Amino acid sequence: MREILQYIHKDAFFHRLHPGTKIFLILVIGVITLLTLDIPVLCVILIAVLCMAFIGRVLREVLQQMALILAMSVIFILITLITMPSGEVLGYLIPGGFLPVTTGALYAGVLLTLRFAILIISFQIFVITTQPRDLVNTLEKMGVPIDYNLMFLIALRFIPTLQIEATKIHEAQLARGYAPGSGFVGRIKSVAPVMIPLVSNALARTTVLGLTIDMRGYRTRTRTPFREEHMHLLDKVVCVVIGMVLIAFLGIRVFPLIS
Amino acid sequence: MITLEEVSYSYPRGGRQAISRVSVNIEPGECLFVTGPSGAGKTTMCMAAAGILEHEFGGEKEGKITILGRNVKEYASLSEISGHVGMVFDDPEAQLIFTSVEEEILSALERRGLSAEEIESRLSSIMEVTQLTALKDRAPHALSGGQKQRLVLATTLALGTDIVILDEPTAELDERGTESIISVLKDLKAGGKTIVLTEHKFTKFRDLIDQMIVMDAGRIRALGKPGDLIADEFVKGVIFPDYSGIRDGSSHSPSDEQKPLVSIKNLEHAYGEVQALNGVSLDIFPGEFVAIVGENGSGKTTLIKHLIGLLRPSGGTVLVDGKDAGVAPVSDLAHSVGLVFQNPDHMFFADTVAEEIMFGIRNLGIPEPDMVLKKVLDATGLTHSRDLYPRWLSRGERQKLAIACVLAMRPKVIILDEPTTGLDGREAREVMEILKHLQQEGRSIVMVTHSRQIAEECTDRIITIDSGRIQSDIRREG
Repeated sequence: MREILQYIHKDAFFHRLHPGTKIFLILVIGVITLLTLDIPVLCVILIAVLCMAFIGRVLREVLQQMALILAMSVIFILITLITMPSGEVLGYLIPGGFLPVTTGALYAGVLLTLRFAILIISFQIFVITTQPRDLVNTLEKMGVPIDYNLMFLIALRFIPTLQIEATKIHEAQLARGYAPGSGFVGRIKSVAPVMIPLVSNALARTTVLGLTIDMRGYRTRTRTPFREEHMHLLDKVVCVVIGMVLIAFLGIRVFPLIS
Repeated sequence: MITLEEVSYSYPRGGRQAISRVSVNIEPGECLFVTGPSGAGKTTMCMAAAGILEHEFGGEKEGKITILGRNVKEYASLSEISGHVGMVFDDPEAQLIFTSVEEEILSALERRGLSAEEIESRLSSIMEVTQLTALKDRAPHALSGGQKQRLVLATTLALGTDIVILDEPTAELDERGTESIISVLKDLKAGGKTIVLTEHKFTKFRDLIDQMIVMDAGRIRALGKPGDLIADEFVKGVIFPDYSGIRDGSSHSPSDEQKPLVSIKNLEHAYGEVQALNGVSLDIFPGEFVAIVGENGSGKTTLIKHLIGLLRPSGGTVLVDGKDAGVAPVSDLAHSVGLVFQNPDHMFFADTVAEEIMFGIRNLGIPEPDMVLKKVLDATGLTHSRDLYPRWLSRGERQKLAIACVLAMRPKVIILDEPTTGLDGREAREVMEILKHLQQEGRSIVMVTHSRQIAEECTDRIITIDSGRIQSDIRREG
């Protein structure tokens, strides 16, 4: 089974960084990406992020998400073609003058896709190289309320469990002669025999999950600092570099716009 | 340590009282064993004793509960009580929050105000006691059922409470897994902890038990020392599964000219690099009742999935009712083979029992659906529940419904994966009686089970699987 967004135990560059450093890094990447309207620059950032994955030895895991990113890009471009036509008409999606392909819409679609890819990949690098416990502790120290932390943690934790469970349910229904329907309506209808047990079982779990969290004193007792991650020299160097990149970007891209 | 005085409780959703006038006094250092049919109120009683009902649930409560001499109402919150009482619920999956074994145990240790050195030493001793040291970096979804159970227990031990309440900690475990939980509990008891335990496997836990409760329909049916109770007929039926008379002595050995319904030759299956099945060959004839036994991970489930095409052979052939199960579509094989999975909750999605059964009938286009439905409800004793919501049935009834759903598709071979999981002795017997009846109608029954007793007392042929090979295949005459 392909695991989505699960921590992978390795000894590599990003694994050695403090979670705080990595949070700073993805925030800066996010800011730069969202402030950039220039496709070549976004391409450079995307390549840089992929290089980061390579350095962190998680490139293979990152590339596994490419199918999702490609699918999303097709959807983005279709949406922009339909909703925001502008600029020159390059051709028509449906021959006979329907659904014009315009330069403006194409530009917007590609822009969205690149931003989306960069954000997804950098977030993924962050999550799969950070032990959830360190992640939660760091977020807690940064003042994120424990309930939000737990929500994030539990969402990550249950992704593979739900994947496994969905497979089991699917098999159980296949054995009952269930045949996933064809066509759009058939597909929607055939979702019920798998989704209803999956969601019911997940909901049935929430009571025990909630009780477990309370009985461990998660939301009430304070934590003894233990095996704390500290900022090392490497973290400081990386933070300074990220800071310089951010300042340089703001200097080149943003200040000219203001003045 | 804990006393319950005339405690009654109804869940907010209404219905009858889940427990009714339950009184018990749990002494320090003793082990209280709670047993009874599914739906008898065992879990509710545990949650009452842990102070959960008082602090977390609505519903109607009566009676008085004290923990360490203090009324549960006087505790500020469940969190305060949880400094004294730890509870292990029956679904291990829902109690694992973190993404590795070590993190999970640490999450409990870190919030107790211990020093860093103490945390370190307790962490390693708990992992050792529960045999988890080698798995410390493993993610919860990559653990086996037994390993998950041990991890949940380890995390509860990490809380360091004097009272530990466990709700069916060995329900889905094989003999070895059960033994490993029992040995941890023995250590706990020797260390002076008070243990409350709901279970069906009385015989296995016997050495541990000081006091025992047998519940039925929310009430305490019997309370006392095990030695004083086992003479009672009702208690006997619950704690000692009795399968006498299920094997009827008639021989089902195939005659020479009979053709096998299932014919497996040199079956191999590999998951990636792991060889799960290694040259398995066997024939199953019409009207045979076969048990497949073996430890968790021996390849039993992998084997049965091949009969209905959910897994395809890496090598060898599987013929079922004249169809090649290596290539035939699952929907085609489902006409010949019915597979009842271990957890019935993996299949229920309809609003009523009757609709649930109709799903398979419609999928396969079985003729005269209403008559089939009626017959199947009758055969599984579910006629009175036909309009109920499947998920509200007791575990025993859900298991019967799972069998009914498969039976309605009129397969020639019915395969069941651990059909007695979570059932008490009487319910397990009822399920076996249903299966026996189906065999007498001429169907072949293949049952995967951990229980040697069920295999020996109910079936005519026992196939033992170990490490993906058939270790023995014994047909018993008469």
